[in-house]
Amino acid sequence: MSILTANWAKQSFRLFLHELKRGELTIIILAIVLGVASVFSLAGFSGQIKQALINESTSFIAADRILQSSRPLVETEIDSEVDLENDSTADSKVDHLNRIAIDEQSQQLNIVQAEQVLMSSMVFAGDNMQLVELVAVSKNYPLRGELLISESVNDSDEKIAHAPVQGTVFVEEKFLSLLGASVGDDIEIGNAQLVIAGIAKQIPDASFSVFTSGVKVIVNIADLKATNLIQPGSRVTYKYLFAGNSHDIDALDDWVKPKINDAQRWYDIQSKQSPLANALNRAEKYLSLASLLGIILAAVAVAVASRRYGQKHQSSVAVYKAMGASLSHIRKLYALHWASLSLFSIMVGLVFGYMLAQLGLYVIKDYLPIQAIQPGSNSSTLVIFSLKLVPLGFYPFIMAVLTGLVCAVAFSLVPLKQLIATSPLAALRDEKLRDDKQPLLARIGQVLPPIIALFFLLLLFSRSLVLSVSLLLAGILVSALLLIVGRMLMSISRAVGTKSGAAWHLAMANLKRRAAANSVQLVSFTIAIKLLLLIVVIKSALLSEWQAQLPDKAPNLFLVNIANEQAKDVEDFIGQNDIVASDLYAVIRGRLTAINKDEVAKQVSKEQVDGNDNGRQGVGRELNLTWRAQLPKENIIAQGSWWHADSTTPEVSIEESLAERLQIKLGDMLTFQLGSDTIQVPVTSIRTVNWQSMQPNFYMIFSPQVLADFPASFIASLYVPQDKKRLMQQFLANYPTISLIDIDALIEQLRKVIEQVSKAVEFILVLVVLAGCLVLVAQVQASMEEREREIAILRTIGAKGTLLRNSVLFEFIALGAIAGLMASMAMELTVYLLQTNLFNMQTSFHFEFWLLGIVAGAGFVGLVGLLSCWRLINLPSVTLIRRTM
Amino acid sequence: MTSNSEIILKTQSITKSVSLENKQLHLLQGIDLTVYKGETVAIVGSSGSGKTTLLSLLAGLDLPSQGEVYLKNKPLHQLNEEDRSQVRADHVGFIFQQFLLVNSLTALENVMLPAELANNGNAKQEAQALLAQVGLSDRGSHFPSQLSGGEQQRVAIARAFITKPDILFADEPTGNLDKKTSNHIADLLFDLNKHYDTTLVLVTHDLLLAKRCQRSVEMKDGHLVDQSIVQKPLAEQNQEPHQPIINPANA
Repeated sequence: MSILTANWAKQSFRLFLHELKRGELTIIILAIVLGVASVFSLAGFSGQIKQALINESTSFIAADRILQSSRPLVETEIDSEVDLENDSTADSKVDHLNRIAIDEQSQQLNIVQAEQVLMSSMVFAGDNMQLVELVAVSKNYPLRGELLISESVNDSDEKIAHAPVQGTVFVEEKFLSLLGASVGDDIEIGNAQLVIAGIAKQIPDASFSVFTSGVKVIVNIADLKATNLIQPGSRVTYKYLFAGNSHDIDALDDWVKPKINDAQRWYDIQSKQSPLANALNRAEKYLSLASLLGIILAAVAVAVASRRYGQKHQSSVAVYKAMGASLSHIRKLYALHWASLSLFSIMVGLVFGYMLAQLGLYVIKDYLPIQAIQPGSNSSTLVIFSLKLVPLGFYPFIMAVLTGLVCAVAFSLVPLKQLIATSPLAALRDEKLRDDKQPLLARIGQVLPPIIALFFLLLLFSRSLVLSVSLLLAGILVSALLLIVGRMLMSISRAVGTKSGAAWHLAMANLKRRAAANSVQLVSFTIAIKLLLLIVVIKSALLSEWQAQLPDKAPNLFLVNIANEQAKDVEDFIGQNDIVASDLYAVIRGRLTAINKDEVAKQVSKEQVDGNDNGRQGVGRELNLTWRAQLPKENIIAQGSWWHADSTTPEVSIEESLAERLQIKLGDMLTFQLGSDTIQVPVTSIRTVNWQSMQPNFYMIFSPQVLADFPASFIASLYVPQDKKRLMQQFLANYPTISLIDIDALIEQLRKVIEQVSKAVEFILVLVVLAGCLVLVAQVQASMEEREREIAILRTIGAKGTLLRNSVLFEFIALGAIAGLMASMAMELTVYLLQTNLFNMQTSFHFEFWLLGIVAGAGFVGLVGLLSCWRLINLPSVTLIRRTM
Repeated sequence: MTSNSEIILKTQSITKSVSLENKQLHLLQGIDLTVYKGETVAIVGSSGSGKTTLLSLLAGLDLPSQGEVYLKNKPLHQLNEEDRSQVRADHVGFIFQQFLLVNSLTALENVMLPAELANNGNAKQEAQALLAQVGLSDRGSHFPSQLSGGEQQRVAIARAFITKPDILFADEPTGNLDKKTSNHIADLLFDLNKHYDTTLVLVTHDLLLAKRCQRSVEMKDGHLVDQSIVQKPLAEQNQEPHQPIINPANA
């Protein structure tokens, strides 16, 4: 007999179809559907968002990955060995990067490449000359972001461009004013004569650093040889840019990383210590965390619903068995029933999730241009999707199906096993399953498969063992604590309840009597509310921090190179025009030469290439030093103490990360070379610096007495509103040596990215809230049969409708309020841990959200409870009694 | 009852005990009962006397702590759950106090169930015929929640007879019904029983219902105190005065 015509299969399908039609499977199906749909949409949506954000922000480095080196890549493998022999500082790694290998690898992976060579050089235009930052680029540059060129100063028509045609250059606008040149003029760079072909209005990878030597001139890399600028000993930076789809880039990542030598750096936008990278990192963590919490919530809903499924079918199984159905018949019947249910739910979930993801992407489409790179083409094409559906790829599909299967199998294992094991005796006696009658070990055994499944899901989604383990452990710990606290609180409520009216009394008595069932219910309410609060709190903390980072009047201009005698005029100008500005900071160039008695040269040359982070370029070369009487804003003393304003002893304060890198401690004596002078100063404090504040920041700050007599230039950051910019330019026309750095464009870009992230975060929040609601509904539904019987009894003994309604309402309100309170406490703890460990944010307390938790908990649980019981309460007594007796 | 009648059910000194808070509680003690083919037997007694426990052992739903139970000569006390299920499938029908229809299946599908379990290819037709016999031919597509208590029990009775069981166990079949409906259901039960020549073992505390059986046995505190009461000889019982509900011509 084929499977489809077998009796058990026929019975199973018949049962499934009837139950489906009659809405008896709605909650369990909804739970699986939501689990699958939320995973699908979260994976699809946040995947797209991440990709779009990274695309958007990679424009800040003009590529997905950059290989940076102080020397050009060797052309062949033989060269690399020669190079190794000649190079005493190179390490002994055999597998060095060389040009041919990289080209081959890139070609295989469909990755596009570009090159950049950066150096400082004098440029001559007619009789004038200017030190510029020369950027030689290959024809594919930029791989990400846009280089915008206009043909004259007043031309608002900006064209997207790549490298200038050989023999021509693009220059920044201020270059023209500094040298009195215009588009079409000839300029001399080294031995080469080149023509100005356009004005660079936007350079995607323009540096945030205010200390770069200023004006940029972009030349074609092919012209570099003719300039003859690169000589032995020239200070040149080589950048190799790579872009491709994320999968290929990851593959390249794996291939390149082990081959990096000490003279090379390999980085992406997120490893750059920039405000943007930071915002992105946190947004990504948030999106992942929210997705994980969404999965947990959906899983809890499935767990609750499958338990109820098991209980509901018990009497049917008992009847089957009494009528002589064999165990294998029942096993096959219910396995097929559950499989049909799961498959049906997973399919609906996929469709629903796909629509949800598309809807989400559609809603934020205005905020989020999705960029797609076309491999092989030399441009990054901007595709702003309109009504077109975005291809989401296989990843969300696979993740969602896996989630659905894992949920369906792992969470049903125990309930189904218990269901199949139902004794036929249950047909004669009301022998319902009671967990609390089972030995502890058996109960632990029952929760094990769901926990393992949940862990597997977390791991699958986060790909972080630490995060998965800690979320899971925290969850188990919190659940155990909640069980205990919940029972205690319910005992207290009972005591309070006896002193209040009949409805409250009944409600509290009910709570107490069902303490075991209720504490399970309470735990899931609490977890749901807690996770929701968590998402809301973290979201608002993140958003407000991002907002704080970019306040309305964030500095948008830097004035650099202000001479001593000009400082007073600048201060006056700022004062007269009501411009928000930082103080003027003196800048004196100097070199750290020794720490105590140790020559620092060796340490520095090692440090210079040490893979990681801030201001590496600063040390080993000259540092920008300053002196101050007061501790600057956004600087916090970590060790030691700041000097008195009128201190006359020489002292220096060093930034924390640099101190760590150079292993400088309080009391160490530092030797600096300033021009021909040598000074020695003790370290008296170590500071943490907020590098993301848009103000001049320094590694080394001296007490005024030490540096005040050295010739210095000054620097300031200002917020100049658009209407005063012209005034500013007029003022600066009198001071041609002062450089103006306008970071408005960068700030605008940053603001845009933050806005996009915020939208994404809100969308995910909605999904997680949906998942949370379903848990609540599923949980209330789960207690429905028992309530039915109770209400029938109360009705029989003459309880009025209002009393029943109120007692049900109050019971759920009390349950919700207790859950809300516990959720708030748990949330506070979790937020603290997350802020300190995951997000590296300032910690904060959120009592306003406690109120929200309690009120929303009471309100929502009360409402859902009442609505679910509404039909029951209003059934005629006879019907109720007949249904339950 | 003649001595050469076939014995269909026989127990020998069965006991049933459970431990409750470390104490042994004896639900049944030393029960000896023999039921012959075609007999109708009522087990009566007050609540908690052990009637239902005895029924569960007789039907092989549970195992005795001690003693022997034979159903159609099969030693139920030696069989495992699975084999007892097979015995039930082959020989036993059930009627429960709570009707216990499968809520998600229609009346017709509920009646079909046991026949399908027995791989009867004609399940649907037979179920329809039986539904007609219990007067519910037009309610076959209704779900249990759409039927009254009496109608549900009629479906349950139809379900019990579809496999033409050798023995039918009924646990308080009228316990959840009003008096009028009860009488009607009892009539139906006894008529069908006669029609299919089934052995009926009925648990009830309704003495009127018990009186309709050929024999009553009384349970008291787990003991069978009296199993000698024979109401009427078989021949006489076959001529019950009420109008049969089913048409004898169908037999």
